[in-house]
Amino acid sequence: MSFFFQELVNGITTGALYALVALGFSMVYGVLKLLNFAHGDLYMVGAYIGFFVIQFFGGSASLSIAVPLLLVIMFVVAAGLVGGLGVAIERFAYRPLRDAPRIAPLITAIGVSFFLESSALLLFGAQYRVYNTSEFISLSSGIRIGSVTIDSVQILVLVMGLVLMTGLRILVNRTRLGKQMRAVAVDREAAEMLGINVNFVITATFLLGSALAGIAGVMGGLLFNTVTSTIGFIVGLKAFTAAVVGGIGSIPGAMLGGLVIGVAESMVTGYISSTYTNLIVFGLLIVVMLVRPSGLLGRAQLQKV
Amino acid sequence: MKGRLVLVAAAVGSLVVAGCSSSSSSSSSSAAAAGGGSSASTKACVASIGFEGPITGPVASLGTEQLHFAELAVAMDNAANNTKITLVQGDTQLQPAQAVTVTQQFTSNANILAVVGPAGSQEVEAVGGPMARAGMPFISGSATAVALTTGSYPTFFRVVSKDSVQGPQDANYIVNTLHPKALMIVDDQEAYSTGLVSAMLPIFQAAGIKVDHESVSQKVTDFSSLVAKVTPAESVVVLPWQIAANAQQFGRDMAQEHKTAVIFGTDGLFSPGTFTISGSYVSSFGPDITAIPADAAIAQAAQTKYGSFGTFGPPVFAATHVIDEAISSVCKAGQTPSRANVLAAIKTTNEPTSILGQPISFDSHGDLVNGKFFLFKITPAGKYQLIPS
Amino acid sequence: MTVDPDSQQPQDVIEIPPGSGGPQVGADEWVARQARRREYLPSWLGSAQRAGERVGWWPRLAAAGLAAVVLPSLGLGGFQLQVGIDAMTIALLAVGLNIVVGWAGLLDLGYIAFFGFGAYGFALLSSNQLGPNGIHLPAYVSLPIVMIASALLGLAVGLPSRRLIGDYLAIVTLFFGEAFVEFTDNVAPSKLGGANGITGIDPIRGFNWQLTSNYGYYYLLVIGLVVIMAVLRLLESSRTGRAWRAVREDPLAAASMTIPVNRVKLTAFATGAVVAGLAGCIYAAQQASVFPTDFDTPILILIYAGLILGGAGSIAGACLGALVVMIIYDGLLRSPAESGYLFYGLILLTLLAKLRPWRRLAGVLAATVALGLAAHAIAKAISASAVAAGPQSGGWIADALRDWVIVPANAQTAGNWGFVVLICLLVTLVQVSSRWRTILLPPTLCLASFVWETRLVQEPSVTRQLMIGAILIVMMNARPQGLLGQRRVETVT
Repeated sequence: MSFFFQELVNGITTGALYALVALGFSMVYGVLKLLNFAHGDLYMVGAYIGFFVIQFFGGSASLSIAVPLLLVIMFVVAAGLVGGLGVAIERFAYRPLRDAPRIAPLITAIGVSFFLESSALLLFGAQYRVYNTSEFISLSSGIRIGSVTIDSVQILVLVMGLVLMTGLRILVNRTRLGKQMRAVAVDREAAEMLGINVNFVITATFLLGSALAGIAGVMGGLLFNTVTSTIGFIVGLKAFTAAVVGGIGSIPGAMLGGLVIGVAESMVTGYISSTYTNLIVFGLLIVVMLVRPSGLLGRAQLQKV
Repeated sequence: MKGRLVLVAAAVGSLVVAGCSSSSSSSSSSAAAAGGGSSASTKACVASIGFEGPITGPVASLGTEQLHFAELAVAMDNAANNTKITLVQGDTQLQPAQAVTVTQQFTSNANILAVVGPAGSQEVEAVGGPMARAGMPFISGSATAVALTTGSYPTFFRVVSKDSVQGPQDANYIVNTLHPKALMIVDDQEAYSTGLVSAMLPIFQAAGIKVDHESVSQKVTDFSSLVAKVTPAESVVVLPWQIAANAQQFGRDMAQEHKTAVIFGTDGLFSPGTFTISGSYVSSFGPDITAIPADAAIAQAAQTKYGSFGTFGPPVFAATHVIDEAISSVCKAGQTPSRANVLAAIKTTNEPTSILGQPISFDSHGDLVNGKFFLFKITPAGKYQLIPS
Repeated sequence: MTVDPDSQQPQDVIEIPPGSGGPQVGADEWVARQARRREYLPSWLGSAQRAGERVGWWPRLAAAGLAAVVLPSLGLGGFQLQVGIDAMTIALLAVGLNIVVGWAGLLDLGYIAFFGFGAYGFALLSSNQLGPNGIHLPAYVSLPIVMIASALLGLAVGLPSRRLIGDYLAIVTLFFGEAFVEFTDNVAPSKLGGANGITGIDPIRGFNWQLTSNYGYYYLLVIGLVVIMAVLRLLESSRTGRAWRAVREDPLAAASMTIPVNRVKLTAFATGAVVAGLAGCIYAAQQASVFPTDFDTPILILIYAGLILGGAGSIAGACLGALVVMIIYDGLLRSPAESGYLFYGLILLTLLAKLRPWRRLAGVLAATVALGLAAHAIAKAISASAVAAGPQSGGWIADALRDWVIVPANAQTAGNWGFVVLICLLVTLVQVSSRWRTILLPPTLCLASFVWETRLVQEPSVTRQLMIGAILIVMMNARPQGLLGQRRVETVT
């Protein structure tokens, strides 16, 4: 039984990570109806930024500042820089294509993703960068319930994930900007006619979504330790799956989808075999798409004539 | 339309230009400066070597390490032998189809006399034929599949032992010395890994050990779910992986979930800077080059120029060195180096010592003679300690 | 109303002769006006295009085929032949993808799986993999079997397309493509080879001959490409082709016009799959081995890059775009020397094409040269090591550039920063007004050359991939219809 709970804890932690990335993905889709393939690579950039912040403060073995301060700086810097990068990508690559056929921004997104990965390979090199989290956050810290261990990094990820998701829900449901985002997501032209500054709303959405991806990147680095230019692809794919399973365009759906995918992964690994994990997760997606294309919490898309 | 024909002609024209300029003199090089210096011989020994490796793609970290060591070898040998050897790099992304294209590029270039690489066993299978047809000798520093040296590829050599040496040696050690009742073995879905697993599994099964065979992709960096699956009865986890950083993460996840199993890694995990889980075993085809006094200069140079390195660089250094020496010996005999005489010289290679800490010579099929594997245990300080056999 | 039997337009479009005065009975004016307003490339390229069109599509195809057949005898070596084979395989795939994406408007991101299916199918039927001695069918038996099986797979994959539109279809097909790689990697390793793939595949053989050399496969691919393009051309102007285009433009209107939309979509998938299956067979025979990693997403991106560059919706565009992309990617960018020609040549071509009038172009070029020389002299005066290494490109380019571009001895960090600044500059260039653009061009050009010499040329493998990403981004923003395509206006509700 404790095995089940351990796998559950692992699954929820990775699920929270996927959920954060899926959130940004879903938000962008909701507002622009664009599948941003480059989102996973923003996660990768965030992870690299976190690594360089650690190096800047002396490296994982000999930090010159306190660990909580380091974490705060890592998250803030990653959120800021990656958010800015996301805004720049939107401005340069996607905005000219707002009214183009749907395939155009999609292909551009693929191009941006490829370009980001290759640029990271060029700038940062091919060798794996390692966070070495255990050197500044000890492995023995954390809680232990029976034989189920939850270490501090996992707790951090869970808590931060919860805080960010709640914050995002409040933003979207209670603030004016959130209301504008929802309006633009429903009908962009009507929103424009009602006086909403659509460009500003879209920029804000990209900023928030990319910042979330950046923070998720730092969290991923702390959890998984290794950073290389290709980590964005697989996380992007899983977040993709999560957003779609939960209902693309829906924020609670992205959260639910992330958790579902994370738990499904760990359960399949634990009870069946790790060989088939990816296959089953992809299969799950295809099944959900065929049975309920709008996802678990999404609304059925009405095709307007 | 004419526009299309014009464009096609332009593309073709540039291709022809490329072809002409590449088949004439190959002045292209993006690697080591040819040391040269003032040479006493009347004719400078000029040649080119090709390097095939996964410089980009999923295992770019391995490929760039191999490339760096190849460049280092060429630089050092040029200085020592007064030769002017240049290195031409070719990226295969560990894909056999690309390896074929790069091989065609090298075989069409008359200046390239030998090739270091390719890295993967599948790539060797794909390029063995074209290499043989062109009479081009090629030495791999990391292709360990058994099938490669059964005689199908007459110009193939390797400076590492094959899976049928490492797999059973490691498996027997585990069975006879570690006595696990159950173990977990995880492959990383690459040919290197699956080859070792299929060499080890029969030995475990014959000894009556309960084996949990798992498989993760090299792209995965989260092993917490897999680690949770390690039962208390499983006292050994075998990781025949290529990416040492992943194994390090696996070990951390095990420590975090309070698993007491011991990690047993093959030569892919031999990476003193990266894989440091205390109590783990790692097998390697050579001793730690940082611990060999004769290799101090090389290790130092590699460290300063390229940072930390693992297990994939030194064999490529050895392979490149073999080729450099072969070319140099041909020049010293007064001949102009060509693929045929370089191939012959490589066949008669007999180095008493090498960067790998053992003599290098090849048997009739291209395998390293007396290649053996050394076993190391990692101390709590993270040092690799050789286990005497 | 006249129907010109030799008209170069598709047969269903009636051209209203100019000056005919007033509406013609039985002629659809809007369609006719649309047909006449075809989009041509600007200036002299457009006149070349129009002249070419007068020649006719079939003669053009024959001429291109003939040129391809004659090419090897101009002295192409093994490497160029290999590049040609790779390029034509991708061209065949792009032509097939064009059916699904360009004609039927279905975004298929898992197309590479059909290619892999065809390759694995051929491999299983022509090697020792299955059974004690394996199955070794001759090509004239195995090729049709594999193609029919691919069609069935295409139908199966197309089934979700009945209920999914646009982006959802893209997602499902993307995951199907990923699932294929996982499947061949992990499932039934004894039958499918697992990570070790299937080796020892027979070459294409039958009736007492077999193709074993690169020449053979080159000619086979030329013939295959020409035949497939001819068949597709006939399909394009047939009922099926028109149905595909109708479904792409507006599925609801097409359905109202009694076009069986679902069946039409399935036909598109199946036809695309057949072409990919054929390409897969030839690929497996030529490589004599197949591995799961041969069919991963990066190859799909190459096909898309070719299709987008050439123009989705146009057979010639798909083929040409793929050939150009692959020849550059595989052939030219593998060695620093030749890629220098390509890089500087491309920059000069773009400047020539885009900067009008001549005075402006001359001014920019002069300013660039002057700026470079000045910067080089200043850098040399400050520190000798700043200009220690020379340009890496081969040949006369290096000599020409030696005093112009700054290449420090330890160039990596400087080059990296330069790369980042260059990207920012390029982005700015696109956004600002024309006057600022002229001012910013010379420093951008100097910086581009600097980054090229210090970083990009050192790592040709990464540069190739940067180029692919750049092609996708730039083409979609600057000219979404590609070189030879037609601009589409999509009504978005």
